[in-house]
Order: sequence, then C-alpha cells, then structure tokens
Amino acid sequence: MVDTTKNTLVYTTWGPKSAKPVNPITISKLVSKAKRPLLVAGSELMKDEVMLEKAVAIASKGIPVAATGHSIKGFLDKGVEAKYNNIHSLAHFLGDKNWTGLDGKGGYDLILFFGHKKYYLNQVLSGFKNFTDLKTIAIERHFMQNASFSFGNLKPDLHVEALDELIENL
Amino acid sequence: MSNVPKGQISIEELENVHITIGKIVGAIEEKYEKTEAGGMTPKPGVSALRDWDHSLLSRYQPVYTPMCDQCCYCTFGKCDLTGNKEGACGINMEGHQAREFLLRVITGAAAHSGHGRHILHYLTDKYGKDHPIDVGPSNLLAPNIQTVTGIEPKTLGDLEPAIEYVEEQLTQLLATVHMGQEGAAIDFESKALHGGMLDHVGMEISDLAQISCLGMPKSDPEAPLAEIGMGCIDATKPMLLAIGHNVAGVANIIDYMEEKGIADQVELGGLCCTAIDMTRYQMDQGGVPHAKVVGTLAKELKMIRSGIPDVIVVDEQCVRADVLQEASRLSIPVITTNDKIMYGLPNRSNDNVDDIIEDLTSGKEKGALVLDLDLLGELAPRLTLEMSPIRKEKGIKALPNEEELKVLIDKCVQCNACELVCPNNLPIMKAMEIGADGDFTKFEFVHDQCAGCGRCDQACPKEIPVLDVIEKASQKAIMEEKGHIRSGRGQISDPDIRAEGVNLVMGTTPGIIALVGCSNYPDGTKDLYKMADEMLRRNYIVLTSGCSAMDLGMYKDENGETLYEKYPSKFLGGNLINVGSCVSNSHITGTAIKVAAIFAQRNITGNFEETADYIMNRIGAVGVAWGAYSQKAASIGTGCNRYGIPVVVGPHGSKYRRALIGKPYVEEDWKVFDARNGEEMPISASPEFLLTTVETVEELMPMLAKNCIRPSDNNMGRMIKLTHYMELSQKYLGHMPEDWYKFVRSETDLPLAKREELLKILEKDQGWEIDWKRKKILSGPTTKLDVTAQPTNLKRLCKGEC
Ligand code: SF4
Ligand code: SF4
Ligand code: SF4
Repeated sequence: MVDTTKNTLVYTTWGPKSAKPVNPITISKLVSKAKRPLLVAGSELMKDEVMLEKAVAIASKGIPVAATGHSIKGFLDKGVEAKYNNIHSLAHFLGDKNWTGLDGKGGYDLILFFGHKKYYLNQVLSGFKNFTDLKTIAIERHFMQNASFSFGNLKPDLHVEALDELIENL
Repeated sequence: MSNVPKGQISIEELENVHITIGKIVGAIEEKYEKTEAGGMTPKPGVSALRDWDHSLLSRYQPVYTPMCDQCCYCTFGKCDLTGNKEGACGINMEGHQAREFLLRVITGAAAHSGHGRHILHYLTDKYGKDHPIDVGPSNLLAPNIQTVTGIEPKTLGDLEPAIEYVEEQLTQLLATVHMGQEGAAIDFESKALHGGMLDHVGMEISDLAQISCLGMPKSDPEAPLAEIGMGCIDATKPMLLAIGHNVAGVANIIDYMEEKGIADQVELGGLCCTAIDMTRYQMDQGGVPHAKVVGTLAKELKMIRSGIPDVIVVDEQCVRADVLQEASRLSIPVITTNDKIMYGLPNRSNDNVDDIIEDLTSGKEKGALVLDLDLLGELAPRLTLEMSPIRKEKGIKALPNEEELKVLIDKCVQCNACELVCPNNLPIMKAMEIGADGDFTKFEFVHDQCAGCGRCDQACPKEIPVLDVIEKASQKAIMEEKGHIRSGRGQISDPDIRAEGVNLVMGTTPGIIALVGCSNYPDGTKDLYKMADEMLRRNYIVLTSGCSAMDLGMYKDENGETLYEKYPSKFLGGNLINVGSCVSNSHITGTAIKVAAIFAQRNITGNFEETADYIMNRIGAVGVAWGAYSQKAASIGTGCNRYGIPVVVGPHGSKYRRALIGKPYVEEDWKVFDARNGEEMPISASPEFLLTTVETVEELMPMLAKNCIRPSDNNMGRMIKLTHYMELSQKYLGHMPEDWYKFVRSETDLPLAKREELLKILEKDQGWEIDWKRKKILSGPTTKLDVTAQPTNLKRLCKGEC
C-alpha cells in the first residue's frame, strides 16, 4: 500500500478550505461508487509515455475521457475513445445543470483530473470548489489544494506506484 | 459601376452569390472623408454602454476561478468567501472576483494612460501643443479616440481632452471598487469592459504622441530590422541597459551620444517595451536602429546577473522591484527616471552631472533619481564610459566559474523545494542531478522555459543561487540567442485598409491573429514562433507587439531567417506586422475600427456601440496573449472584448480569475438580427468566447481558425476558414473536429476537393438531405448562407425600428 498523503506542503495558499489528502485505494472506492465519473485528461500526458499509459489504463476501466489541450491525440493514437474539450469551457459546462455531458446523457458527479499543469489545474479546481457541488479528485504528482481529494506531493517513482495501485482497484 | 449610387445597397433574395467589391471602396472612402454627424455616445460615462455590455455578457458568461478565497479589502474582514459565501459587507465570491478583475483592468489602463499623460506632457512641452499628429498616410488618425470620445485630434494639444476623459473615467471606476456599493458581478464586469475600452484610448494617445514627435516609423512596412537576444550584446564594450516602457529619457541618451560622436563606444541595449521603442526612435526614414533589444521581462534578472551592464536606467511599468538590490551586488549604478519607480534613491534632478558621476563611480551612492530627462541624456552615457573600466578593474564577477558551478551543483540534496516553488514547476532537481555528471542539457531546457523570477533561489535550503547555476550551465545556449525584430511600424494605414478590408469582411483572408503580451509562456518561447509560422503559412495576417514581437524574432529557420525576414510586413494575408510596443496595441483595435469606418462607411465618431457591433459580426480577428502576466495584458484584452474581439490567454492567464465563455449548446444564445428586416437569424457559435485560457499551442491553433469564423463570411471565406479549422485539428489534435458541420451553411462552404466526401458524412452522421445529382444540400444546416444579410446585435439598427 502506497501512502500518498504524507507531504502536502504548499508554497502559496488559496484560503481556509484545502483538499483532503488521500491514498489510491480511497480514490478507487470513490470512483467505483460514483454514478457518472469522468476523467479529465490533460496535455502533460503527451510529455510522458508512462503517464499516458496510466491514463489509458484508467479509461479502459470504462471511465469516459474528456481530453483537454492536445491530449486527444495521445488517446486516439492508442485506440482509446475520448472527446476533445477545452478545459476552461468544460469547467463552465460541468457547472451547468442543463448540460447533457459528452454523450448527451447528463452531467457527472465525480471528476478525476490527471495530466495537468499544477497552477492551471488549481485555478480550474478553484472554480469548482467555489461555485459547484461537484466532487473533484486530483491524481497528479503534486498536491492540488483546490480539489476535494488529492494525492500529496510525490517523487516520480512513488507516483507511478500509486497510479498502479489505483488502477488495480478500480 | 459609375452609376451605382453611393451608400448602402440591399440585394434581397439572392442566395449563394459571391460578390466581389472593388470600386465601391473608393466611394466609401469619399463618404468617410465628409464630416460625419457625431454618434450616440461621445465620451461615454460608466453606465452609457451598459446595455451593450450586458448583451455581450449574456452570451459570454463570466467564469470565475478565484486566486484567493478570502477578501481582505477592509477592516470589516478578512472574510472567507469560499463556496460563494457573502462577506461582512454583503458581497459574495462572484461579485468580489468581478471586482478583483475590474481592479486588474483599471490598474493596467492606468499604467498605459499614466504613461500617456507623462509622454504627452513631456512632448507637448518640447514640441508645442500645435505639433501635428503625423502617423503615416491616413486621414483617420486616431480610431480609438474618435470612436470613444468623438474627438478627431489633429495636434498634440487635441489629445489633451482625450487623456482628461480617460483619467476622469478611471477615477470613477476606481471609486466603484470601494467596499460596499456594487453587489452585482455583472455590473462590475460592465465596468471592467469600460476600463478596457479606456485603456485603448490611453494607449493610442501615448503612441500617437511618440510616433509624431520622435520620428518613429509611420505605417511603414519596411521599418528596419534590429538585433535581438542576449547573444547579440557585445560585452567587450561599456554597456548601458535601459529597462521599462517609456522611451522619453532614452531618446535623449541617444541624442547625446550621437551629438558627441560616442554612439560607437557604448553598447546600448534595452529590455521590455523601452527596447522596442528605442529601435523605433528616428527610424521613420529608415537606417540602422540606435539600440539592440536584449529581450523581455523574463530576461531582466538574467541580464543583470550576467554582470554585463555597466549602468542601468529604468523608467516605468514592467520593471522588477529588485533591480537596485541585484545591480548593487555587481556594482552597477541604477538611474531611475520616472515617478513610478524611485527605489528610495536620492533625487539628483537638480544636481551637477559631474557630482552625480563622482558619487556613483566612487560607490558612495548606489543610484540616483533623475527626473530631468535632459540631465539624464548626458549623465547615463558618460557614467557608462566611466563605470566600465572601474568595474573591470574591480574584477566584478557575476556568474560562478566552472569549478564553482560544480561545487554548487554538488551541494544539491534533491529536496525538490525549487521545483515546487517555481511558477512553472520546472525540473530543476533533475537538471541538478544530471548536471552533476556534466550533462547540462536539462539546464538548457530549464533556461529556455524559465521566466527569470528568482523564486527558486529563495526556496533552496542549501542556499544554492539556483538561477545563477541555470544561467551558467546554459552559457552555450545563451550565446546562440540572437535574432532580428522588425521595429514597430505603428498604425495600419487607411490605404492598407482599403486594399485588404474587403478580404477580411468576406473572410477570403481567413483572419487576423494578434500575438501580444508578456513572456510568461507555459512551455517556452518557441511555441509562439511555431504558432505564428503555421498561421502565416496559412495566409492569416499576424499582428504582433511588445514582448511577443520580441520573442517571435528569437528563432531562425533552416535558411537562417527569422520570421521577420521570412514574411513580408504589409497589411495582407500571410504578412507579419510588428505594430510596436505595449501602447501600440491600440492599433490592433484601431485596425478593426478602420475597417468599419473606411471599408464599411460606418460613422464611428462617438459611436462605440455600432462600431463594436460591426466589428463583432464581421471581422475575424483573435487576440492571443500567450504569456500574459501583467495587469496591462488584462486591460488590453478586455478592451478588445468590448469591441467583440475574442482573446485567448495561456494557462497562466487563468490567474486573472475570470474568463468569458459561451455555451455553444444553448441555441438561443447564438442569434443576431438581420438589419434588413429585423428578423432573428441563427449564427454559428463563433467566437465561442471573449476571453478564455488554452493549454497548449497545439490546442490553440485549430481554435484560432475556428474563432475567426464570422456571420458575414461569404462562401469562399467560410470555405477557407473551415478548411483551416479542419486541417489544423487533424494536424495537431489528430481528429476531425466534432463540431465542423455546425459551420456549414451550404455545400459551397465545403472545401472543393473534399466536398463529396464531406457531403456523405453530413448525410450519414447528421441526417442532412443531399441532392446527389446537383451535389447540393437540401436540408440540415441551422444557419443560412446569405451574403446580403446584415447581422447586428442592435435591434435599433434594423429597418423599421427607428
Ligand atoms: S470588502 Fe466585504 S468581503 Fe471584503 S473584507 Fe470588507 S467586508 Fe469582507
Ligand atoms: S527563476 Fe526560473 S527556474 Fe527559478 S523559479 Fe523562477 S521560473 Fe523557475
Ligand atoms: S531546492 Fe536546492 S537542494 Fe533542493 S532540489 Fe532544488 S537546488 Fe537542490
């Protein structure tokens, strides 16, 4: 069992409410219990083949993928279905109760974020935190204080281990 | 054609007709040159354009991403607004974020118009209030000023009431930020749009004044090339470095050096917009620019730490707050020249040059405040010549030597603190790890992406001067940083608009991409080059200014050419135009206004709303501030937004706290009126946003193509724009965009070579009815191709409404 909750050091803070640091197994349970989970996968995945493989593995567990930036190319190259979305627009739509989702079947109750720049994702999450009821989970290498749940700060090898454990338990 | 009456022609019930307008343009120009009656809103007050703003904001809704969940504005607080809670004064998070955004915008606008006030006064004192405004072969000299204020300035003195109007309105806007008062986010947003509009007036005042008085290029496509890059600086000569945005003082320095024949002895370089304007100074007749450009704000700390400058002169705006401390460590005297930056230095404005030189060369003082710019002209070059041998003799050493570098790298304990604190989370720890074995490639990567903020230095528990290590280890790469920048040409002239306006409105030139703003890029400077090159090859007009204009000149192709050498700089498709410095951004909105005034004979004078309505529905232009970080970038972008021009910022731009994004899936949001009959007319969802962030340039490029689509495109124009959208999506995102069919109004909008294939997809996937014999779409599109339609958001402009 990988402990991903130890280091939650931040250099700047958004305010009093911060993400709950969690272990991979907790995230697996949250995702498995969700009715309509969504993986929002970012372009940082395109810089690291190992990370892209992990995202593909998560998608292959039946979680729909909103591919932001140019990460869509990575998924399509690997034969995985994904829909392109600009992350800022997507965040706007996700907060709209009338939006019918990527498949026209309705909104989502849990959003998993992976493959994003730290500062950018924290801003997007800040919007969710302040203006929606959505549960957000960050499985990045850095602690994302504006998510509902997040991994802590991890060294690269521990991050890979944590992702493997998460995928295994999905 | 000679019998065609001048004025508007309405051809009803014609479909699929492609009209090329040639001679009408001449008639239109004649019409413009007659004096127009003023519009409805000369010098609008804070609420005068509120209806326009609210209509924009109903389609493009504010999306807030707070930078801080607390408010500490007043002593009632601090208040926790997390979850859109209300603070003690009753404002909620939304309202507070809108207020924060407004504050950013008016800060930016104040910076530009403060600059405008300073340079206008200075130049009026020097050249007189009757000095003519001369910006090139144009009758419409001041499109922003004229549209907003109704003033048609002809002399420096005529700019005075315009700057007074901006100042008065900025004060009114600042007053609304006081605690309590406004509670509705949407009205703070309207005020922010007002501030953005004012900013473009303030910028225009600054640039018109300096172009007219300082011999800057006047709409000149052949404006000379200047050298750019840290690698182009000749470190063997005494070096004078100017930093900032206001060229008034440096112009005197150049004059003094020319007069005394010492220009060859001093290496004059600049950072930020002062650098750009130094290369514009006295270049209206061509020649070799008087100075070299070191680069953007990202190079500021790096250039100082290189130890090369012998004297630093700063003026205003994007200048680091620690220039004096950093420079003093290396015995570089600093001269501050403007009220905005004084660094606590003694005011020597009324002192004798020799005394000041004595105090600075002896080290008695670290710098001086010199507000007399004539004194500065003599002081700075003389001081540079004297400081250079003194500093050499002292053996001032800036960066570590090779052995020291090794020792420093070996001190790293791989704690990762630097990476966590770095605004871009750059892999410094990894660079240290492999650097220990003498491999500096990762350091070079970090150097390229590094914004030069120095935060890593402060975080390191082992007190490693991390930035110095990065810079020393990247010396080889830095020496190669040499390029060319075309010095800013100023406005797009009236004849330019006459030649190209029709293509822009019909869409046959697929759009204007304006690359502006600062250097806080998400993945290094080269992205900007890649993007510009791609769009230029596709015949877009690329306008640029400020730091973006600099960074575009930093890379060369396989033939050794920078983009400025590779592409011409006329106002035509496939041309790259540097308009100039930060304040020259007003020429970008100015270009759009000119199309409305000159090509479409709209009365722009004091007529903001109708001008913006024209621009929004007809001119395919998108602004890109890929590395935006300053408040000025926020105000520039917001000014574009009020004209209906969409703006994209890079991911760091999410920290501006709010975007304006539409919902393409809400059909009723995407309708305009047809001014011919007042009927509602559905339009395609473009632009989809007024301000948004984008993750990578790969994502950005197809987005640019899509968001240049406008209701007025003729079939040829739409076909061209759609082709680029589809091709760029396939090239960079690896797929055919899902929404491409939403931009198809008729089969003639489809690229010819792929028409049949695409018609099949439309039939199969979208259920559209196709007449295969005539290869025509019978039913399916939600928008109609009608080249005679007159799209407008303003009901009052429709026939029968007034
Ligand atoms: S301005 Fe309002 S929200 Fe802010 S600290 Fe004062 S009372 Fe609280
Ligand atoms: S100076 Fe460069 S490497 Fe250091 S923290 Fe700033 S951006 Fe990162
Ligand atoms: S903060 Fe200092 S010690 Fe820690 S990884 Fe960075 S350079 Fe090494």
